Amino acid sequence: MTRTTFDRENGSVLSAATLAAPATLLVAAGLVVPLAILLRYSLNQFIPGQFMTEALTLENYVRFVADPYFRGILGQTIGIAALVTAICIVIGFPLAYVLARAGGRFKSLLILAIVLPLFVGNAVRAAGWMIAFGTNGVVNYVGLGLGILNQPLEIMYTPTAVIIGIVAVNLPFVILSFQTVLEGISRSVEEAAFNLGAGPLATTRRIILPLAMPGIISGATLSFILTMNAYATPVLLGGPSFVMMGPLVYSQVMTQMNWPFGAAASFILMLATLVLTTIGHLIVQRRYSSGRN
Amino acid sequence: MSGRVLLRAFAAPGLTIVLLPIVLVSWLAFFSQEIPSFPPEGHSLRWFSAAFSERKFASGFLLSAEIAALSTAIGLAVSIPAAIALQRFRFRGRGTLGSILLFPLVIPGVVLGAALYIFEVQAEKTTDLPLIGSYAGLVIGHVLIVIPWCIKLLGVSLSGLDRGIEEAAMNLGAKPWTTFRRILLPGIRPGLVAASLFGFVVSFGNLEMTLFLVGPGQSTLPIAIMQYLEWKVDPTIAAVSVVQIVLIGAALLLTDRYVSLSRVV
Repeated sequence: MTRTTFDRENGSVLSAATLAAPATLLVAAGLVVPLAILLRYSLNQFIPGQFMTEALTLENYVRFVADPYFRGILGQTIGIAALVTAICIVIGFPLAYVLARAGGRFKSLLILAIVLPLFVGNAVRAAGWMIAFGTNGVVNYVGLGLGILNQPLEIMYTPTAVIIGIVAVNLPFVILSFQTVLEGISRSVEEAAFNLGAGPLATTRRIILPLAMPGIISGATLSFILTMNAYATPVLLGGPSFVMMGPLVYSQVMTQMNWPFGAAASFILMLATLVLTTIGHLIVQRRYSSGRN
Repeated sequence: MSGRVLLRAFAAPGLTIVLLPIVLVSWLAFFSQEIPSFPPEGHSLRWFSAAFSERKFASGFLLSAEIAALSTAIGLAVSIPAAIALQRFRFRGRGTLGSILLFPLVIPGVVLGAALYIFEVQAEKTTDLPLIGSYAGLVIGHVLIVIPWCIKLLGVSLSGLDRGIEEAAMNLGAKPWTTFRRILLPGIRPGLVAASLFGFVVSFGNLEMTLFLVGPGQSTLPIAIMQYLEWKVDPTIAAVSVVQIVLIGAALLLTDRYVSLSRVV
């Protein structure tokens, strides 16, 4: 990084290294070093009552994998992440398509409607679902009023509530990822398919979906990662008995004060996310490229 | 055309799920009764004064705004030169540098928080400086999450700026600093505005990492909201949310005037 070659003649003593140094040092000292320490601590031992003892052991990782309770939390988190991502793709795609083909004020309004919730915070949006899902909430009021329901539904503190909550959190990200690629697909391509006799369904399946695949992959990856790391939504909508990986890391480090195990859980979370998204990419890539031949 | 209607019908669930929670929270803020049961008995504005008089929200709001402003300022100050280095210089390790600066974006909030908290505890043990739950610790954490957004947005802006103008200025004898101040900085103004607003909003809304970094008795607005909601949901918290929604909506509309929102996120 220190060896810089300017691409223009310039007598300045400023080099790229000096320019980038403050930000790089900040990120290195503030993130890379703490992460390295966290990794080192995940190999330490936790003895109840004694806090943490220096060691070089994998027992925290082994304990996580061996204990059905923790394995269950990881499995549950992965399952929810997969389900949420699938729902986001199905629900998000048509909206992204409408958005990509819209124009003018309607489009600006639609974008604001999708981006605003993104910034309002997960807790506030969870509050919205708490209002919807309560025993006297909107869902039961409308459902009972229209005669769809015979008795009030108990949705709060169920996996369903968490899934709907996280879908709402992830959808804006997914829609925006889809929209970017959909906007790049020329209308004339669709028209050509129509003129050659393809119906809307065939055009979507054979033309639009393959072309939009990069955006679908990036949106799906984002949704999966966001769900794996979710914190506020599962805590507020799932209640105390419904645990996902994010809240687990928090409680191990801050409440149980079991740093080695919390650290190990952190790295298991990141590793699982990395491995699963990579596998997902490979599968989609293989299917996609073989489908073209 | 029926195809169009059908398409919009398929698009409707997505929009409903995205907007419904915001709409419900906003509605609840105007309920006259305290319990969030439907239908409302009537409507009232009194929860807004209740929200403003609740000390925890007011102080949380101030702390969040302060931290967000400070960390955005620091984040911008270090990101502007870094973004210039990434966009205007070719050097070995440029790609690596770019990914290091975007790194905070890919680390889960809870892991980032846990790592910083444990680091602070250890650093305090070795140096005797009061770091745990400190203001400085909070700001450093927030600077970390602001930097990637600044790098991204300034990068977009810089890459769209014609290099020829800078070269012309230099050829006419302008020193690098003058070129930076008179040509580059005005040129990337939209990017600067977007990066400031984005950095501010990202820092202001951060919950997961901040949970690990706040000291006892201290809380930012998102933490105050989260803790309140773990206890109950009522029109007071809804009123707090509405104030936040309105402020963020205004910030986004402002950003949209400089950089199209769809290009940013």
